[in-house]
Amino acid sequence: MSAIQCEGKTIREINRAIRHLIAEGAREIRLSNPSARHNFAVGLVAPAHLTIEGSVGYYCAGMMDGPTISILGSAGWGVGEGMMDGLLVIEGNAGNGAAASIRGGTVVIKGDAAARTAIALKGGTVIVGGNVGYMSGFMMQKGTLIVCGDAGDGLGDSMYEGNIFIAGGISELGHDAEIREPSPEDLAMIATYLDRYAIQHPGAFKKVVSARRLWNFDKREWTLWKNAL
Amino acid sequence: MCGIAGFLDKTGERSSVGSVMLEMLSALGRRGPDSAGVAVYGPATDGQIKLRIKAGENGIPEGRTERIAARAAILAQVIGSEVAGDYLRLVVRYDGPIETLEHAIEDIAPDIEIISAGHSLELVKQVGSPQRLDATYRVRSFTGTHAIGHTRLSTESRVDLSHSQPFYAHGALDIATAHNGHITNYHKLRRQYEMRGIRFYTENDSEIIGLYLKERMMQGLDFEAALYASMRDFDGSFSYIAATQDQIGFVKDAFGLKPLMLVETPEYVAMATEEQALCAVFGQGVQAREPAPGVVRVWRVPVSPETVGKKVAA
Repeated sequence: MSAIQCEGKTIREINRAIRHLIAEGAREIRLSNPSARHNFAVGLVAPAHLTIEGSVGYYCAGMMDGPTISILGSAGWGVGEGMMDGLLVIEGNAGNGAAASIRGGTVVIKGDAAARTAIALKGGTVIVGGNVGYMSGFMMQKGTLIVCGDAGDGLGDSMYEGNIFIAGGISELGHDAEIREPSPEDLAMIATYLDRYAIQHPGAFKKVVSARRLWNFDKREWTLWKNAL
Repeated sequence: MCGIAGFLDKTGERSSVGSVMLEMLSALGRRGPDSAGVAVYGPATDGQIKLRIKAGENGIPEGRTERIAARAAILAQVIGSEVAGDYLRLVVRYDGPIETLEHAIEDIAPDIEIISAGHSLELVKQVGSPQRLDATYRVRSFTGTHAIGHTRLSTESRVDLSHSQPFYAHGALDIATAHNGHITNYHKLRRQYEMRGIRFYTENDSEIIGLYLKERMMQGLDFEAALYASMRDFDGSFSYIAATQDQIGFVKDAFGLKPLMLVETPEYVAMATEEQALCAVFGQGVQAREPAPGVVRVWRVPVSPETVGKKVAA
């Protein structure tokens, strides 16, 4: 176990220290006193396990490829943005744009996630134990978003592909998104994830997918195009 | 990208809000290195108004403070006068419309501006860092029930004392605002206000928030209703904090385009653009949350037994 005390160090020094420890073979690293500062552990590519003992600011764990990162508090905007692979677990809440544009890996948010969660998702899995804000899953192209709580306006608006599973209410379904019944395989997959990350199973899930009416322009459907976000 | 912060001591005690604000603003300082300011609501004495007057910038011209005090003495009873930084602080007894007194003082020279006027409000701001603000005005020593503060990154208007925040809503005692974002229909609204004869002191879009709240409250809306109405009438991105003598509140725009983190305990309410400002004052374990887009919250300053006693005695 290696430890980094963040107090009195710049973010650049902290991120350099993380890389240095990993290069020396450390596989378990703990960061203490993060003070909700920004840009922790951005661009990590080694298969190490980093535990951040508190809340973090913006863009934590962005663009990572492979490591496991646990945040024992809440995260600010853009947590895990652009992730390629790995596992990111946030014990608390996440700000706007959590797991935006990820291409692979798994992001687990045990609390609530704010607006634009999993926006432009290009792969991977995002699991939210609480609610998500407006425009979550907007323009997603691939991957899976599982929401145990409620969703704000515009859920799955203009999504191309991918699946959203939601247990709670949807304040407004996005344009060209439609609700389907999840398959037994879908439900088994959800149960596996929830068990794995110790999230209480909320009960029945709905599945939200693309209705694909925006895939090709049809002038007879002008109203639909005009109203799409 | 500016930083805003607000604090209310829910016990109603006059605590060291100056020091809390300074620590929060220092943590937000990198969001806005151009200028810093705080508006603190301190103890009020019946009938007394505190005026903080910009008597010059980067130095007060010879004889200026005496002229201002003499002009104020024509309309009001001046019972205290001191100079700090570029400010002349006057304590007066005055019963007339505050705008009359403000205009009488501002008419002396074009670079004179009433930075704040109120029974409780004490507003200091200047170009530079929060640390520099403390060095000039000893912000740490300010006590009060609540306060708002700002660190500014100028995007569209000039960097000087008048364009700094928080803004006092000229002509509305004790109303101050601190804003992060852009009011994009500012120019249109400003033209409408100017046609109604309302003076703007700066070209900073944030100035309009206080003037808007003042006008809405004069039309009969209470503070909270005025904050709600502003969300409908302002376009753009905004998180802003506003305060009166006995209330403090915030508004987040309908899209949540600007951050604001909030922590509330039985003892206090604190809000800041970034959680790290809350960590800096209240520790790593602070349970901060970001309010949802389109949310307005208002807290009333509790009346402390001490204040009640004073009012009864008066």
